[in-house]
Amino acid sequence: MAKNDSGRIGVYKRALLAGLWRENPTFRLLIGMCPPLAVTTAVKPALTMGLSVIFVLVCSNVVVSLMRNLLKPHLRIIMFTLTISTFVTICDLYLKAFFPDMSEILGAYVPLIIVNCLIIFRAEACASKAGLIVSVLDAIGMGAGFTLALCIIAGIREVLSSGCIFGFRVMPGWFVPWASMSMPVGAFVTLGLFLGLVNTFTRKMKKD
Amino acid sequence: MQQSWLLIVASFFFGLLIAVTSAGLSPRIVQNEINKRNRLVGMLLPEARNFIALDTKIEIEAQPGKKEKVEVYKAVSEANECIGWSFNAAGAGFTGQIVLVVAVDAAFEKIAGIDVLSSSETPGFGDQIKYDYYRSQFKGASTDQLKLVSIGEPKKIDSEIVGITGATVSSTAVVDILNAFMSGIKAQLKEKGLIGNGKK
Repeated sequence: MAKNDSGRIGVYKRALLAGLWRENPTFRLLIGMCPPLAVTTAVKPALTMGLSVIFVLVCSNVVVSLMRNLLKPHLRIIMFTLTISTFVTICDLYLKAFFPDMSEILGAYVPLIIVNCLIIFRAEACASKAGLIVSVLDAIGMGAGFTLALCIIAGIREVLSSGCIFGFRVMPGWFVPWASMSMPVGAFVTLGLFLGLVNTFTRKMKKD
Repeated sequence: MQQSWLLIVASFFFGLLIAVTSAGLSPRIVQNEINKRNRLVGMLLPEARNFIALDTKIEIEAQPGKKEKVEVYKAVSEANECIGWSFNAAGAGFTGQIVLVVAVDAAFEKIAGIDVLSSSETPGFGDQIKYDYYRSQFKGASTDQLKLVSIGEPKKIDSEIVGITGATVSSTAVVDILNAFMSGIKAQLKEKGLIGNGKK
């Protein structure tokens, strides 16, 4: 019994931690790449986007996990889409009502969470097969990994494009802001260099 | 037809969920939008205490062959006198739509100021339309045709607006949008007898 418990805890732990590094959606799996490129001009919108994705991911995983026994193959995708779009709409309305400034900065990218393949991927790969607890932990882990990745890219871009982070000046006075870092090119370059770094690092770890 | 009931039940349930959330939050969302607009126009027309929308929307031809309806607001002071007009003007920028909020004086002769409500112009270049040096050129300028020039003195208030650069689409777009909207609305307001003939 004790062994069984530790086995179950092991599964929970794996579900929670997979998204942070081993299966990080942005750096390792390269899915849901639209937000990391589009909303990472500053940390605040990136964080808002990350938290919105966590909310949608947890809610959709819970609903999909609860109805997983009722799902027939031909209804699967349409049910996922229905569930995801409902929670994204709720999230969008909430941001518009309570964080109008953030909602304006994020613009169309909040409704676009509907087509973020990270969410439908977790519904298909995890929630439609696993139980409620594993699905929730998986959603939190994957969402947190996604948020972390967004914030890292956004942090680099914000510091280089404005010299500030969260609106506080961190770079010395002589620093000349790189305007290109706040443009799409900045997102591609930062993401590309970071992916290269992550790949080199993991390859080295494997060798050792 | 297997399990189709699930789809119908789920659609109904999710629809209900969205309807309830929307009903609960929409007053706040509408209020947020009004607040934002009032805050912006309030800065352009500091004496205004209230903004009253005209009973009917003004129809103008912003682009050739394309009619557009614009909501025009009358700005009134504490003493209930008309001190100006304001409206939103929208048009194509370089990378997307530019929405401007425009305030003019009571006689629709001079611009009281403009601000950018929303835009997606290139950061660092086109989005300089939000900067003070560009926007302040419009404050006090005539509501008749504005002209964009590439070299000039931005501080001088006249009908010549100095662009960000000669080749920046964004600064040209703002002038084009203003010209189209202001001439259209001015003509309509005159027709309705709301401005002109010594009326304030």
